[in-house]
Amino acid sequence: MNSTEYALLILGMTLVTYIPRMLPAFLIDKMRFGAKAEKFLRLIPYTAISALVFPGVFLVDGTNPYIGIVGALTAGILAWRRFPVIACVLAAIAVNFLQYSFL
Amino acid sequence: MRTSTFKTEFISGMHAAIPIIFGFIPVGIAFAIMARQAGFSIAQTCGFSICVYAGASQMMAVGMHTQGASIFAIILATFFLNFRHLIMSTCVFERMHPTTAKLKLLGSFGVTDESFALFTTEKEERCTIAYFLGMNCVMYTSWNLGTCIGAIASDFLPVIITASFGIAFYAMFIALLTPSISTNARLGLLVALTAICNTALVQVIPPSWAMIVSTLVCAFIGIFTVDLDNKEESTNE
Repeated sequence: MNSTEYALLILGMTLVTYIPRMLPAFLIDKMRFGAKAEKFLRLIPYTAISALVFPGVFLVDGTNPYIGIVGALTAGILAWRRFPVIACVLAAIAVNFLQYSFL
Repeated sequence: MRTSTFKTEFISGMHAAIPIIFGFIPVGIAFAIMARQAGFSIAQTCGFSICVYAGASQMMAVGMHTQGASIFAIILATFFLNFRHLIMSTCVFERMHPTTAKLKLLGSFGVTDESFALFTTEKEERCTIAYFLGMNCVMYTSWNLGTCIGAIASDFLPVIITASFGIAFYAMFIALLTPSISTNARLGLLVALTAICNTALVQVIPPSWAMIVSTLVCAFIGIFTVDLDNKEESTNE
């Protein structure tokens, strides 16, 4: 990525991240979403995250989909048992390190 | 007097954010290693964390870039991914004691999933801008320190270690999703539907657009099929 493209990317990402964070601080009294719109917005993180994980997680390793699947299951099982996010992340990394070590 | 109150509140905010250091530094390192693997320079990698300051979308941007997505698609996906901060920010500033416009401009930069969770579960009387800025001072520093370490270390880390970090991004998202869906079966079904929908769509349209379409369509379906009430996860240890 050349530096012009990079500058555009960073500028765009910064603006679309900062503006939704900043606007409510000033519009707090005026902003009222309808119940349906609010629910829609609350659901987006779940569907967005799901779309980010699938099918990408199968492609973590270009040749062996099981590497991604085993790492993902590790994180999922720990998260199901309410381990903190960072523990899930580190465990998945460790498990994948072991997978790469013994393949 | 006013200044010393500000300082005290700022410092107690810093204390409150200490547990998050252990989360932000490793994930910052993981992000930086991913970004370096995707071909971004050390300075470019640090630039993401300094300017954007949103872990999930930084990882997504790097992932999408690797898959050949256009800049516009990455920015649009970032917008959708971070749009939830509109609601989080609303909650944060609803709780916050009145403050000046300048401090609002500064403080709102620090609205993240983590600062939102910490701040909105704090006792109401502690919810001042100074407290929020103190928290964010620690969190922003940790995130950028982690990024810096990862960006530099990735040149020295063996391939097997950097390859192992490829799962970090997915592990984080799975860890964020799982607690909610484990207590809400219909939400779990919606997440599964989105996964199937996106996996099918990437066969026919570019992955970045597939993600946006499946996110919006499935969230819309969720309005009528999922019950979100009383599902606000309280982030107790």
